[in-house]
Amino acid sequence: MGGLIPLTIRDLKRWYRNPVSAVVGVIQPIFWIVLFGSAFDIAKFGPAGGASSAFFEGAPDYITYLMGGILTIIGLFTGMFSGVNIIWDRRLGILQRFLIAPINRASIVFSRILSSVARIGVQIVILFVVALLIPDGLKIDHGITAMDIVIIVSAVLMISFIFSSLFSIIAVRTTKMESIFGIVNLINLPLMFASYAMFPPDLMANWLSNVAKYNPVSWSAQSIRLVIIHGNLNGAESHTVLIYMLGLLALAVFMLIITYVVSNKEIRE
Amino acid sequence: MENSIEVENLTKVYNGKVKAVDNVNLKIGKGMIYGLLGQNGAGKSTLIKMLTGVIKPTSGTAKIAGYDLNHDSLKIRRITGVVPQDLTTDGDLSGKENLKLVADLYDIPKKDALESIDLLLHMVDLYDVRDRHAETYSGGMRKRLELACGLMNKPDVLFLDEPTLGLDVTTRSNLWKYIRSIQKEFQITIILTSHYLDEVDELANELSIIDHGKILVSGTSPELKKSLKGDIITVHLKNDSEFEKLKSFKDAIDIKKIETGDIRIKVSNSDEVLPELMGFLSKNQISPDSINIRKPSLDEVFIEYTGRNINAEQEKPDYAKLMMGRR
Repeated sequence: MGGLIPLTIRDLKRWYRNPVSAVVGVIQPIFWIVLFGSAFDIAKFGPAGGASSAFFEGAPDYITYLMGGILTIIGLFTGMFSGVNIIWDRRLGILQRFLIAPINRASIVFSRILSSVARIGVQIVILFVVALLIPDGLKIDHGITAMDIVIIVSAVLMISFIFSSLFSIIAVRTTKMESIFGIVNLINLPLMFASYAMFPPDLMANWLSNVAKYNPVSWSAQSIRLVIIHGNLNGAESHTVLIYMLGLLALAVFMLIITYVVSNKEIRE
Repeated sequence: MENSIEVENLTKVYNGKVKAVDNVNLKIGKGMIYGLLGQNGAGKSTLIKMLTGVIKPTSGTAKIAGYDLNHDSLKIRRITGVVPQDLTTDGDLSGKENLKLVADLYDIPKKDALESIDLLLHMVDLYDVRDRHAETYSGGMRKRLELACGLMNKPDVLFLDEPTLGLDVTTRSNLWKYIRSIQKEFQITIILTSHYLDEVDELANELSIIDHGKILVSGTSPELKKSLKGDIITVHLKNDSEFEKLKSFKDAIDIKKIETGDIRIKVSNSDEVLPELMGFLSKNQISPDSINIRKPSLDEVFIEYTGRNINAEQEKPDYAKLMMGRR
């Protein structure tokens, strides 16, 4: 797909040259981990933490439990905002230069998606380091294998891909920045809270827990969580992770096809 | 002469209502500068956007260097260069990086691209500021960078959409210089849209006047001026009753009121007719505020075919006066 690599590099250059957006993008999830993660000490639930810890998949602290959710949410947020950049390019007139060029027009959209996914890669690493360094932070007692890393990274990247594709499709014809911000604001809350990103299903009202079951944010958060908390997964856990990862993969492939078709045909100046 | 562009019945209707381009037919010879002259909103940019594949025509087709617009869009984009009316370079990248990006989008081999970038930067006098972010450039520098981007792929056909809009006089004449030298040295076909009469008159080998999406007339500038078949005397009268009297002046080929309120009298030879006219005015007690004699110009050609001056707004009340009168 001609144009994909140069356009992705251009987008990444803009990102790292704009220290404010780059730093904010990294600091915000750190706030989530440090403040939200520390605000809620699960060891204080129930006698000696035993009963409550079972709710939290046996996590030693809330940060360890939350890590899968936060990584997923970063993927979700960064993905959602990749559509905004397409609208920026349209409003600044830059998009016209790309439309004139002899490239497959889907590459204009996919370069945005790809650069979002690359940025998240950097954020994952920074967030892991911070979570491990803070007091009562992330604890991985069992060590971490290459397979664990593959599961964590691919879950976040797939979530990011799914949502950046979705919002890029919206941005393909949208000219108003406000519209996309409105949609982001409208759906980020239900996506976050109607999922297992922050809280375990057993703590939720039954109806919400049933809804959250079908939310891809839950699939990613729960897969990462199982890997971080348990490490060497037993049969049932492996099965759960496999199902969730396949669900994410199917959704990502579906979004890939839809995005390709829509962006190639419908992108307008 | 071999045609570089052939446009057939090209039409663009927006939202099923607004006809921006209406059944346009054009033939543009290879290696010439072709001017499309029209007011803002006449349909020039829409026509260019269709020919460059940015928007799809509602109906009709065009051939550019033999490629069909509706089927070979990718090939057409490969051999055309475009300098759009709006700025399309990225302010967050340097001048050089912008050109590098365009070179990559056209799949130009690295070595060739780097050589071209240096030459183009020298050509548009941006070599010394090549590493500065484009957002720090002045309007004229940005426009020159756009021109360099449009030439990066060494196009066979170059579209320049209002290339000097909003530029100062010096930058404008410099851009004219580049445009002329490009055409002269590389024999590429240049399609230039403009609402500046002098620009089209100065640069274009042939031109079309476009209004409300339609091509009204085409030809070389001398041909169009010749088509007026006479000189123009413009008279500014005090009131409409004087205009009614003036209509009976026999030596005129045509008398009409144009949008500015002036009366435009077309005569075969102003030197001969002027004394007759002065006598007629005095006999009929018409005392005009001003009388202006003009030999055929592109300005007059535009008025002849569109019925209004290219810089004229629609006739409307003096809203500025009405507004300030409320103080």
